[in-house]
Amino acid sequence: MEIIIEEISRGHKLLGRHKFNKTSVNIGRGYHSDIILSDPHVCAEHISIDYDGENWRIIDQDSINGCFLGEGKKPAHGHIVHSGDVISIGKSQIRIVFPYHPVVDSITLSPFENLLNLTKQPAVLIINIFIFALLTGWIFFLNNPKEVNFTQLFVPAVGLTLMFAIWPLAVSLVSHLTKHDARIFTQLGICFVFYNLTWVIDFIEALVNFNTSSQFPLTGLLVLLPISIAFCLFWLNCHIGFHMSKLRRVVVAGCLTTLLFGGTFLIQLSKKPDFSVRPQFNSTLLTPTFMFAPSSNVDKFIENSNDIFQQVNKKKNEKN
Amino acid sequence: MKGLISLFLILICNISFAAEQAETIFKQLAPSLYQIRLIDKASGEKSSIGSGFQISSDGLIATNYHVISSFARHPEKYRIEYLDNKGNKASLQLKSIDVVNDLALVKRDVEQEMPFFVISKEVPIKGEELYSLGNPHDLGMIVVPGTYNGLKKESFNDRIHFTGSVNSGMSGGPVVNKNTQVVGINVATSGNQIGFLVPHDKLITLVSQYQKEELLTIDEQMENQLHANQKKLVDALLNSDWQLKKLGEGLIPTIDVPFIRCWGESNADKDDALIMLAVANCSLDENTYIAGNFFTSSLEMEYRFMQAKKLSDTKFYQLFQRQISRVMPGNKAGKDDVTEFECQHDIVMPEHQKINNKSIFCTRAYKDFDDLYDVLYLGVSIDRDDQALLSHFTLAGISQKSAQAFTKKFMESVSWK
Repeated sequence: MEIIIEEISRGHKLLGRHKFNKTSVNIGRGYHSDIILSDPHVCAEHISIDYDGENWRIIDQDSINGCFLGEGKKPAHGHIVHSGDVISIGKSQIRIVFPYHPVVDSITLSPFENLLNLTKQPAVLIINIFIFALLTGWIFFLNNPKEVNFTQLFVPAVGLTLMFAIWPLAVSLVSHLTKHDARIFTQLGICFVFYNLTWVIDFIEALVNFNTSSQFPLTGLLVLLPISIAFCLFWLNCHIGFHMSKLRRVVVAGCLTTLLFGGTFLIQLSKKPDFSVRPQFNSTLLTPTFMFAPSSNVDKFIENSNDIFQQVNKKKNEKN
Repeated sequence: MKGLISLFLILICNISFAAEQAETIFKQLAPSLYQIRLIDKASGEKSSIGSGFQISSDGLIATNYHVISSFARHPEKYRIEYLDNKGNKASLQLKSIDVVNDLALVKRDVEQEMPFFVISKEVPIKGEELYSLGNPHDLGMIVVPGTYNGLKKESFNDRIHFTGSVNSGMSGGPVVNKNTQVVGINVATSGNQIGFLVPHDKLITLVSQYQKEELLTIDEQMENQLHANQKKLVDALLNSDWQLKKLGEGLIPTIDVPFIRCWGESNADKDDALIMLAVANCSLDENTYIAGNFFTSSLEMEYRFMQAKKLSDTKFYQLFQRQISRVMPGNKAGKDDVTEFECQHDIVMPEHQKINNKSIFCTRAYKDFDDLYDVLYLGVSIDRDDQALLSHFTLAGISQKSAQAFTKKFMESVSWK
């Protein structure tokens, strides 16, 4: 009669799996046991699991700390084993299953998984990181009003690239620590693809802001773009680094996104002065090449200004 | 030789005559001169000082608005007090103001008829000797002789140019001619012997208005005066000749009125500059003081022409964007005075179609006065790859109608050559 015994951690992670084809299995700290547990709270001969021709039964070998069913306090001595039962021995746990114990359906290998793996290809990964560093350097260059040499751009570009690599490395470290596959290059690859996507989104935002007037109602929706990008990145981080249910993945990614944007928003809110003298307006400028919108005329512009006069009057009356 | 000596003697005589006259004037007028003090009620100490002079037998005293401005804005926090030449102190009531000409009328209680200053009916002649009276820096009443030099030609609201030292604390003090008649009121100084006075006719107008009607509150008077002043200003601006001047490749409007003066600057001497820059500024030289940091009735216009020299178009526009995002209003009004700005922006091409601008227009309302706003406009050309023309103005204390009329004219005036 076959029996499978799994050593599991307290978090129900599998530590080891043994299959026996005999009628009695000994578990204990002693080296003559069939399963040797190094837990100091386990006796040399702690329990045995015996087959009586019909059932498997737990027999406590007069151990000091005893054995219990599951996490509970119910002694397991004499218990008739069912497939999937968990027994606590000292501070360790084992799970007993019989052959033909039902397993969950297999997950098909998706083309999506292949796509994720593509990002860790050395060439793809290097190109992505290179593009990121290049764009970072270029943005530094654009915003610097003086002439700059290569080193002045190189240092911040590389520095910022290294800084942005911290996140995927940290995620890998956490998955490694939680006994998951670290998949460090996949994490790096995915992160830099998304970092580069945020540059694209920045550009789209600038393009829309440049081409639309303050009357355009949908500019507020632009803020959803970076939020959704961040959500997707966190979702993928979870997908690559951890085995978790779909719901849990969505919840974790959602929480991280809220933390990132909510935190940034709160910081901005806390820094906002009670009264600001500075006018807040959209100052986005791109080169004339990116101007696609038709121009308005002066009369229309002046007519539209009635609205903001109304708004400030409303503000004035609120305060008084 | 004899001639020289006699000339010398005549000179000495003249000087001593002037000194003697100043002394007589001072003695004669001292009882009608006051130090005006604003006392902070909570601390009991004076928070600002100025001078004032009695202009009627029943105790009406004229001074500057800016001397008592804190009281006018926050009557619950302060009280006004006078100190006369004998050291007597008593309270004063604020009766009327002219915020535009910086004048105020306060009143003391009198038991019997008192001597007072007579306001002149005539304008002095250029070069005429005048005597300014006041209490500079709380040092005691003094008399300063000086010369009348006509009206300041760049001023929108008339000011007399007085060659003589007007110091702080003398604000609100009278300036008299030889016949001890008031011809002006000390108001400001521009340093070394350059003083400015409010002409006496403004005081005459204020007094006659005060005698006619005493119904309006100080705030209502202020609101009416600010409205009248902004209308006068914008009408004058819109009806004047707007001359188009060249700035780099652009054409910019300058308004041909004496009270708006323009200045220019460029970096043409700097060969290593990334962007060639030429700047022209035009502004109204004066403004109206309301209280604290709150100045109004000011106009500033600024134009910049920029040409990329050694950089790409993308970088040129990126740097330009950083520059315009730092625009600030011209006056430093605070939370109690104004609301926050509201802005709008659009891509605007004026009728003549010679330029395509990104136009930004912001406004904020005055909290205590109806239909008065500060406005700010910023136009940035976006139709040339390596050249840009920035046109900007801020106008303070203006009605919606005036602001829109001025903005329209301004936007239609800027173009490429």
